[in-house]
Amino acid sequence: MNSIGKDCDELKKQYDACFNSWFSEQFLKGRTDDSACAPIFRVYQECVKRAMLEQKIDLSKIGAEYSTRSEYEGAGSSAAGGKQQGSKS
Amino acid sequence: MKIWTSEHTFNHPWETVTQAAWRKYPNPMTPSIIGTDVVERQVVNGVLHTHRLVQSKWYFPKWTHALIGTAKTCFASERSTVDPERKQMVLKTNNLTFCRNISVDEVLYYEPHPADGSKTLLKQEATVTVYGVPLSHYMEDLLTSTISSNAGKGRQGLEWVIGLINTEVKGIARGTDELIHSTRRSIDEVTESARKSMDEISVQAAKAAKAMHIT
Repeated sequence: MNSIGKDCDELKKQYDACFNSWFSEQFLKGRTDDSACAPIFRVYQECVKRAMLEQKIDLSKIGAEYSTRSEYEGAGSSAAGGKQQGSKS
Repeated sequence: MKIWTSEHTFNHPWETVTQAAWRKYPNPMTPSIIGTDVVERQVVNGVLHTHRLVQSKWYFPKWTHALIGTAKTCFASERSTVDPERKQMVLKTNNLTFCRNISVDEVLYYEPHPADGSKTLLKQEATVTVYGVPLSHYMEDLLTSTISSNAGKGRQGLEWVIGLINTEVKGIARGTDELIHSTRRSIDEVTESARKSMDEISVQAAKAAKAMHIT
């Protein structure tokens, strides 16, 4: 699957390959340490954020809308919110 | 506001279906999805949280264009959680830039089937709301039926990806490109052969005409 930014396609392909194997080989088997794909994720993220800026896609509005929804909070996003500042981005 | 719900059982274990869910696109059944990107992803208390941006192209009948505009690229925001211990995957999609008059929210739940743990139950619900345009109810009906048919295609698409994963597991993977290619080929086969025979007819006709002119 392509990225929304044409020049991110190759990075996305590499990251997806890393994630898919981590997801099936590690995560589903109970090993939740996700540092294996972190370096490629960081590079890919920078590229996507740039592409979003260029295409004027604003996720922050949607993000705010979602965070007020109780159903999503029920799925554990309160914990996610607490760790937000420590995230990789 | 219009609410649409559906259930579907996949004859595959939850682990296979969730792996396939991440690799759902591209598949030949849902060409409307043209791009996906992970915007944020982290594991919190053993649960994987992902925020994805999904780019799609929707086509609607011409009469709606005056109301919601022609087909254009849309961005949807998809937030998901995967809990490997509880064996639950939840994906919530909210359209970002469809049109400020329309809101489409979709939720997908993937869980092991309560009656048979070797199968996976998909519960799906979509809420469609159209604000402040004429014929709102018609628009909502139209969108709901579009979602309904897209959901069917989405499930077929997922089955297709599961087939691909199972093939890979068996070690006889032929590669995604080749599979996509062969699937497309079979879909296009009828059109293609029809076109070919038309081409042949015209070539033959041209030859005949030429021959008649020369001789």
